[in-house]
Amino acid sequence: MGFEEQIFPFLTPKLRQTLENLRRAVPGEWGKLEEIRLRAEQPLQVEMGQSLLVTSAGEPTKDAGRALRVTAEDVLRTLQLMGGNSLYTLEEELKEGFLTLPGGHRVGLAGECLVEGGRLLRLKRVTSLNLRIARELKGIGRILLPLLTQAGRPLRTIIISPPQAGKTTLLRDLIRSFSNGEEGLAPVKVGLVDERGEVAGCFRGVPQLDVGVRTDVLTGCPKREGVFLLLRSMGPQMIATDEIGRPGDVELIEEILNTGVGFLTTAHAWDTKDLALRPSLQRLWARGLVERVVVLSRRLGPGTLEGVWDGRTGEPIISQVQRLEVRR
Amino acid sequence: MKMMGALLVIAAGGMAGWVYSTLLRKRLTLLRALIQSFQWLETEIGYASLPLGEAFLHISVRVPEEIKLIFTTFTAKLNGRAGLTADEAWQQSLAEHRETLPLKAEDWALLADFGRTLGSTDREHQVTAIRRTLERLKHQASEAEEEYKKNERLYRYLGIAGGALVVLLFY
Repeated sequence: MGFEEQIFPFLTPKLRQTLENLRRAVPGEWGKLEEIRLRAEQPLQVEMGQSLLVTSAGEPTKDAGRALRVTAEDVLRTLQLMGGNSLYTLEEELKEGFLTLPGGHRVGLAGECLVEGGRLLRLKRVTSLNLRIARELKGIGRILLPLLTQAGRPLRTIIISPPQAGKTTLLRDLIRSFSNGEEGLAPVKVGLVDERGEVAGCFRGVPQLDVGVRTDVLTGCPKREGVFLLLRSMGPQMIATDEIGRPGDVELIEEILNTGVGFLTTAHAWDTKDLALRPSLQRLWARGLVERVVVLSRRLGPGTLEGVWDGRTGEPIISQVQRLEVRR
Repeated sequence: MKMMGALLVIAAGGMAGWVYSTLLRKRLTLLRALIQSFQWLETEIGYASLPLGEAFLHISVRVPEEIKLIFTTFTAKLNGRAGLTADEAWQQSLAEHRETLPLKAEDWALLADFGRTLGSTDREHQVTAIRRTLERLKHQASEAEEEYKKNERLYRYLGIAGGALVVLLFY
């Protein structure tokens, strides 16, 4: 099933038709679709390799005047459809600012907020939707597997990358490979704390994206509590989490190390220097907690591998820039 | 021959009275079933926080056939590809079954009112709307019960008496 069948039912008929037209108008580009963005009273925008607006006939354009105007009603209706016409079931999502569709596609939300005593209660009126197409690229991390393991044991690894360079896609694939025991590796029980729900793309708690057969997913749980819950209850051999970088995350990793399990995580940064500058993560380098650092960028398109470094010595293991691909 | 005709007319009158009183009883049964449904709905939405589609699906297996039809038409429309809002799906479903159920205009009006905020507000408001609808339904039901008790016999006798009157006039 293509992602169209998964997401089109959640769009209003008008938007569905327009995107159907776009798909027919530029079938080649359509495969590169990353995001569909709806903003109240603004033109319909898509990200597919480049940032484009769309006319109601489905033509890509840069002219905002010609593009289909999305109304506040369109945004609201789309949100209602995404919530099974039951906005009351989205209370948590309206607080977090995102929801997940079947198929693991993520929808970011913005708009007018309801605040009480300086704390965000929830969005009270949603005026922007960002539909991010979840892509599974199975095997994208295969060439990295020998570099991230030692004697069959996964090394403590952090993937760093700027936004939209494919870190979540790579993380997911590595988790899957370790969990399934691919490429001759011994299979590993993985505990995944998917705080933002992006890695496994859970819909009603069931992962929609393949994170491997030995992976237990804790979704929507704060990282710290999640990690300890999994360590206590599921006996994982490796802990994987989505983006770290908040104060406290480094201590958390230290504590994971004390329990002797491996970890695999990502952090948001432009390159290793940028990462090294982030005060919250400095201790990671100082204490040599990380054994491998994988750096991604968008230089040759999403999924460009800038290199892999040894986290303790700072020596490059490979530094040849290349595009990660699914090789069969 | 004339005698036979007279008896038939009286019987027809009696039948009409009986049908009318049955409709009164039917309305009462339906209103009671609706009350039960909305009580279940309050649990499904207020405590389990299930989406409308699932909530109505759960309830529809436990209600009389006529009400089940309203609910299943509603969920079918909700899940259809037309992209209807819950309100639109609800109103369309009511309109489709309006002719087949012996409910009064006030009963339909309160059901239609319930649809206005269906699914489009937070849980607290949904529960408030359900409770308000419940109160109105209970009010309608007690009125229907009173009407039924007061008029059941009346309509039946009135039917027979009406038949007899026609016979007397034309005999």
